[in-house]
Amino acid sequence: MRTYIIRRGIYMFIAMFGVATILFFMFRMLPGDPTAQVISPALDTATQERMKAAFGLDKPMHIQYVIYLKNLVTMEWGRSFTSSRPVVDILVYRFWNTIFLMVAGLFFALVIGITMGMIMAWRRNSFLDTGSTVGALFFQSAPPYITGILLLIIFSYKLDLLPTGGMLTAGTSVDQGFGLFFSTDFLYHLILPTVTVSLYYLATPMLIMRDSMLEVMGSDFIELAKAKGLAPITVMIKHAARNALLAVVTVSAIMVGMAIGGQVVVETVFSWPGMGSLMVESALSHDYPVAQATFFVLAALIIILNFVADLSYCYLDPRIKLSNSSQG
Amino acid sequence: MALESIKEGLTTHFRIITKHKFGTFGALVLLFFSIIAIFAPYIAPHTPWETLRTSAGKLALLKPPSGEFLLGTTAMGRDLFSQMIFATRTTVYIGFVSGMISIIIGANIGLISGFYGGKLDEVLMRFTDIVWGMPFLPFIIILISLFGRKLEFVILAICLVIWRSSARVIRAQTLAIKQRQFILAAKARGCSNLRIIYRHIMPNILPLLILYTAFNIAWSVIAEAGASFLGFGDPTNLSWGGILFSLWISSKIRVAWWWFAAPAICIILLVSALVFISRSYEEVANPRLRKR
Repeated sequence: MRTYIIRRGIYMFIAMFGVATILFFMFRMLPGDPTAQVISPALDTATQERMKAAFGLDKPMHIQYVIYLKNLVTMEWGRSFTSSRPVVDILVYRFWNTIFLMVAGLFFALVIGITMGMIMAWRRNSFLDTGSTVGALFFQSAPPYITGILLLIIFSYKLDLLPTGGMLTAGTSVDQGFGLFFSTDFLYHLILPTVTVSLYYLATPMLIMRDSMLEVMGSDFIELAKAKGLAPITVMIKHAARNALLAVVTVSAIMVGMAIGGQVVVETVFSWPGMGSLMVESALSHDYPVAQATFFVLAALIIILNFVADLSYCYLDPRIKLSNSSQG
Repeated sequence: MALESIKEGLTTHFRIITKHKFGTFGALVLLFFSIIAIFAPYIAPHTPWETLRTSAGKLALLKPPSGEFLLGTTAMGRDLFSQMIFATRTTVYIGFVSGMISIIIGANIGLISGFYGGKLDEVLMRFTDIVWGMPFLPFIIILISLFGRKLEFVILAICLVIWRSSARVIRAQTLAIKQRQFILAAKARGCSNLRIIYRHIMPNILPLLILYTAFNIAWSVIAEAGASFLGFGDPTNLSWGGILFSLWISSKIRVAWWWFAAPAICIILLVSALVFISRSYEEVANPRLRKR
């Protein structure tokens, strides 16, 4: 168990280090000189050289790499090319906006998905079962921006019920603390993006819950519980669902990892000021310090969540522990 | 002889797909879009960039679908029907090419990693882990923003990240098959490693390969549409995502529902068709599912 955790932890750091390295080479070796944004080729050579020295660009590649890694760890991520604000400041604000939207969306996807999956397994092959499967698969095949735009057309443009985007109504004073996340105006703006994220991720927990419920319900201990004369609802929730949840927990951490990548389009559609839309803005305007840092934060989140998925898997299902640890 | 076996192989796959209603539906949709993609210039009544006039001689801006303009027109007075047909070509092309390239990369990494094991396996799998740490769409848009908005770079960016899922699964399957008697027999007969990998193991994971080819094509279509929607598509080769992007930046969503509906429906149709096809292979690749 302990060696397993340590081994997984080491893999996690290797992966982060790998992503950082790939990023370094990606931004320095690809066609198109990213420095041309700041150090204009129109300047005279002496000034160009001085500026390069100031950015450490005159040093050989391997030294630049070491400096890059050091800065990455100490969170000295430079300044934005476009707004010249420190990248860290921009990111901190965007980070929590993204996390809040993601947690809200995934929370509903999981709660509704697990409940629906349970009912669907109980009423197998009913209209509800088939209907929900087809519906969930539809929303999974539809990219989230299509669902998002559809919701916008219905609820914002036609019915005029909900705001079209942003995080607060224009003109509202921005409360800097976490109090912001619980103001009614904020929650009002949160509805449509949350529904979009939830619909997109609903199918995974729902279908997995359904399938693993079916599997569990064939086991002897369920028969025993039934034979004891327990009410069907008790058997369903206390005995079957508890065991079926295992599979969902494992998948949900991986799902969260996927959701971070998918956040990009949802945030763009709803002009949500999170890391996803920041990523798109900075990539479009070639603001490389911001793009690079945002990408690294997103990747680090995914890698950490994959690690959590591995750990929860091995914590929840002791059968896996030893047999799987050697396979990596 | 060779022809016979090809014919036999094709009928088997045809049977697998058509055994299920959903699989048949998926195959028909795929066929439909492929035909449109191949014959695009012969079907489209206009070029995608032509500014059109109505029969009355006025500019045909934002006209809803009618007999004259089957799917309506855009804010620039361009025929959406023709745009959709050429966009089908781009989307299907990118989907197939990146789907194929990424399955070749993923299958080879999986097969080699699973077959040789040891250090090589460790290195390849850690590398796969790193790529799994990459956020999907952000990785693609960063690469496109660095390389430039060209068709081949879009394909390259998609391939560089999509192969990862097939690599892991095919490695796991290779590990299982490696232990079987006939592989040991082939080894004892003195077959070369490459021959065992490609002539003995690969045919046995064929259903899984096809399943993941369909998945990879579906993911390529999703990735391309998403990247183009965000403004990272090739501007000279319009795709479905690109049409949605031009709608989004023209901010005419409130009025032009047809401009949104056509590409949205096509993306969903093509992606679900591919998912349905892969689902019919899932039963062959994973017999445990069959009894349900």
